[in-house]
Amino acid sequence: MPPPSHRTLDSPGRRRFLSTLGSLSLAIGLGLQPSSAQADFSVQRLRQSMQRLYGPRGLSSLEAWFALVERLAGADLRTQLEGVNDFFNRRIRWIDDIHVWGQEDYWATPLEALGRGEGDCEDYSIAKYVTLKELGIPDDQLRMIYVRARIGRSSITQAHMVLGWYQTPSVQPLVLDNLVPTITPAELRTDLDPLFSFNSDGLWAGGSSQSRADPLARLSRWRSVIERMREQGFI
Amino acid sequence: MSLIKQLWLTVIFILLLAFGGSLFISVTSSRHYIEQEVEIKNRDNANALALTMSQMDKDPVTIGLLLAAQFDTGHYRRIELRDPQGEIIDLREGPEGVTDVPAWFVELVDFEVVPGRAVIQDRWRQYGTLILQSQHSYAYRSLWRSTLALLGWFFLAAVLSLLLAGWIVRTIRQPLRHVVQQAQQIGERRFTTLPAPRTRELREVVMAMNQLSRAVRDMLGEESQKLDLLRRRLQHDSVTGALKRDAFLDQLQTHLESQDSRASGTLALVRLARLAEVNERLGHGDTDALLHVLANRLEQFGKVCGGGVVGRLNGSDFALLLPGSHDLETLRDELGKRFTELRQHNPVPLGLPAALIDYAQGDQRRLLLASLDGALSAAESRGDQSLVIAQGPQRLSLFTSHDEWRCALHEAMSKGISLARYPVLDSEGKLLHFESPSRLRLNSEWQPAGVFMPWISRLELNSQFDLAVIDEAVRDISQRHEPLGINLSAASIQDARFVMELQARLKARPEVAERLWLEIPESLAIHDLARFRSLCQALQPLGCRIGLEHVGAEFTRIADLQDLGLAYLKIDRTLIKEVNKVAEQQTILRGMATLCHSLGILAIGEGVENLDEASMLFELGLDGATGPGIRQHDKPTDC
Repeated sequence: MPPPSHRTLDSPGRRRFLSTLGSLSLAIGLGLQPSSAQADFSVQRLRQSMQRLYGPRGLSSLEAWFALVERLAGADLRTQLEGVNDFFNRRIRWIDDIHVWGQEDYWATPLEALGRGEGDCEDYSIAKYVTLKELGIPDDQLRMIYVRARIGRSSITQAHMVLGWYQTPSVQPLVLDNLVPTITPAELRTDLDPLFSFNSDGLWAGGSSQSRADPLARLSRWRSVIERMREQGFI
Repeated sequence: MSLIKQLWLTVIFILLLAFGGSLFISVTSSRHYIEQEVEIKNRDNANALALTMSQMDKDPVTIGLLLAAQFDTGHYRRIELRDPQGEIIDLREGPEGVTDVPAWFVELVDFEVVPGRAVIQDRWRQYGTLILQSQHSYAYRSLWRSTLALLGWFFLAAVLSLLLAGWIVRTIRQPLRHVVQQAQQIGERRFTTLPAPRTRELREVVMAMNQLSRAVRDMLGEESQKLDLLRRRLQHDSVTGALKRDAFLDQLQTHLESQDSRASGTLALVRLARLAEVNERLGHGDTDALLHVLANRLEQFGKVCGGGVVGRLNGSDFALLLPGSHDLETLRDELGKRFTELRQHNPVPLGLPAALIDYAQGDQRRLLLASLDGALSAAESRGDQSLVIAQGPQRLSLFTSHDEWRCALHEAMSKGISLARYPVLDSEGKLLHFESPSRLRLNSEWQPAGVFMPWISRLELNSQFDLAVIDEAVRDISQRHEPLGINLSAASIQDARFVMELQARLKARPEVAERLWLEIPESLAIHDLARFRSLCQALQPLGCRIGLEHVGAEFTRIADLQDLGLAYLKIDRTLIKEVNKVAEQQTILRGMATLCHSLGILAIGEGVENLDEASMLFELGLDGATGPGIRQHDKPTDC
C-alpha cells in the first residue's frame, strides 16, 4: 500500500510559503522547537535514557538488545522473527499492567519493558514490532492484532494482543505471542480469536521516521507510546 | 515632511501592521487547528468503521450497507474501501460543498488533511483498507466569516482610532499654528501675546515669547511716555494742560486746510472774566486750580462732541475747537449748562462769557478770531453768563438745504470721484505713495474734500462714499500701478458691512491690495481701539498697508497698537512745523522715529512746508515727508 501522505513537493510554492510561515509563527508562539529527523535509533540516547530511568540493570538488558539487533541484522527472515520473539519472551516477565505501572492499561516502550524486565501482552507486541522494524521488515507486513484468547482448554477467555507477520496482506499471518513461545501460523492457533489489527502505517511521514503527530495526537494511547519511543531514542 | 503628516503615516502604518498581523495569525492558527481536528476525526471514524466491519460477515451487501449508513448519516466527502491489492471494492463520494466562499480564499487557505486509514480484518486475513475523508468545506466558510468579522472589526477600530488620532492631531495643530504665527509676528516686530496652550512644550515656548512681547511693550510704554512728556512741555500750557497759543493756532490752521470732515465745525472762545479780581480773592494757587478745572471741563466737552481741541490763548481766554459739530444753538446751551455747574461749585462768583462761531474750509483764521473777539466783548458787556453766537464770515454755500446736498452728493458720486495726488517721498526722493484726497464734481466744478466731507458725515454717507473712493483707487492702481493712500472715515470702520465689502474687493485684486495704503486719523483709531483692531486683522492678511494720520497727542498709546502690525504713522503738522528751528521738536521727532523703527513702522512727516524742514526730518531719521513743500522730482535733501 502506498504511504498515504504527500504533503510535499507537488504543492504550489505559495501554499508552502503560507504553511511554513504559519507553522513557524505558531511554533515560535508556542515555544516549540522543530525536532531533527533521525534515520535510525540512537544508541547514545537510548543508553542515556536507560541509565537515567533504570540504572545499570536496565543498561545490561539494553546492551543485550543491541547485541541481538547486531546479530540478527542481515539474517534470514525466519531467524530474525524467532530471535526477536525468543529474546523478549525470555527477557520480560508477564505481569498485569496494574501491578507494573499502577494503572489499568499502560503501553510501555521497549526501553521501559526491558528496563523493568516485566510487562503484559501489548508490551511484548510493541517491543517485537519495533525491533523487527529496526531489522528492516516493512511496516505493512507487521500488524498488532487484538485477539480473544482461551486459556488452556477452559472456556475462560481473556483480552490479549499478539504481533502478526503477513507475507502479503491477504494471507494468514505468522503469530508472535508470549503465551506460546514458538512462532505459529495463525490457522493453527485455534485458541486465539482475532478481532482487529493496526500498525503504525500513516503515523510516519512518507518513509521518514519523524512522526507527523501533533502534540494533540498523543492523547491516543498508540501514538503516545510512539512519541515516547521517539523521545527515548528509538526510531 | 511635516510633523502632522508623519504622525498620520505612523498611525496608519501601526493600524495596518496590527491588522495584518492579527489577521495572519488568526487565519494560520485556525487553519492548523481545523486540519488537526479533521485529521483526528478521519482517523477515529475510519478505525471505528473498520472495527465494526471486522466483526461482521464480509458479505458485500452488509459491507455496502454499513458504508452507506456511515456515509449518509455523517459528514463525509469520500469513503472508499480497497482490497489488499489496492482495487476499489466500494466507494462513496459527496459533493465538494464550498459554494459561498470566494475561490481565491479557498485556494489561499487550502486545508491539507490526511485521510483516515484503517484495515478491516477477516479473521486472520486482511479484508481491505478503509480510506475516509471528512467533509471540511464548512471550515472554509467559518474561516471566511471570521476573516470578514475581523475585517469589519478592524475597520471599526480603524475609524475610531483615526478619529482619535484626528482629534489629537487637531489639539496639537491649532496651538502649534498659533505659536508659529506668533513667532512670525515677532519676526515682523509685532510683539503679540498668546494665551498659553495646554501642550506643555508649546506652553513653554509661548510663555517665553509672551514675556519678550511684554518686555517690549513695557519698554515702548516708557519710551513713548518720555516723548509725550517732552511734547507736552513744548505744546501745552503748564498750568491748565491746554494747548499753548501757538500750538492751538496751528491746529486751527490744520483744520481749516484739512481735506476731511474736520474742515468745518464750531470754534468757541471762553473768557474767565475779571481774572485779576479772582486772583486777588482766591490767591494764586486756587486760581490756578480753577483755571485747570475750567480747561478740564472744556476738554471733556470736546471729547463728548468728538475730536475737540482746547487751547489757552492768553491768561484768561480759552479757545475750543469742535470739528464736525454744526448745531451752534445746542452747543451753546450745553456749554451754558456746564458753566452753570462750574459756577455753583465755586466759592467766588465767576464770569464766564463765551462766543461761538462756525467755521468751514477755506475760512481765514484771522477773520474768524476777530469775529469771535468782537462777539465775546459784546457778550461780556451783556453779563457774566451770556453766551453769544457770532456772525461768521460770508460764505458762498453751494447748496442751501440738506435735501439739496443729498441729491447733489448722490449725483456726483454716481458720476465718479476723482483722486488728487500729493506725493509722499522718502529721503532719496523716491515715491512712497500718493496721498489721494477725493474730489467730487459739484455744481460743475471739482470741489476738494474739505467742502463736501462735513456734509458726507452729516448725511451719514460715509460707508457708501468710502467704498466709491476705494473703487476709484482700485481702478487707478490697476491702470497706473502706483501706490495710493486713501483716508477712511470713522463711521466707515465702525460699519461691519463696509469692512466686509472692502475685504471682498481687495481679496479679488491682491496685486492692487499690495499698493493700497489705508489711513485713519489717530484720534479715531484710539477712540475705538476694538474696531480698529478688527479692521487691521481683517485687512492686513490681504497685503494692504494700514497706517495712522495726524499722530501727535496720542503717541503714548503706540504701545497698545504695536501688535496690530501698523505699516506707517503720519506725524501731525503741529510737530513738524518749523522743526528745523525748534530743538525740542527735533528731540521728540528723533525719539518717535527711533521708536517707530524698532517696531518696523515707517515714520512720515505731514504738512512739510519747505525743503529745509524736509531735510531736517530725514536727518532726524524719518522715512518720508509730505506736504505743500514736497513735490515729486524735487530732491528734498541738499546732497
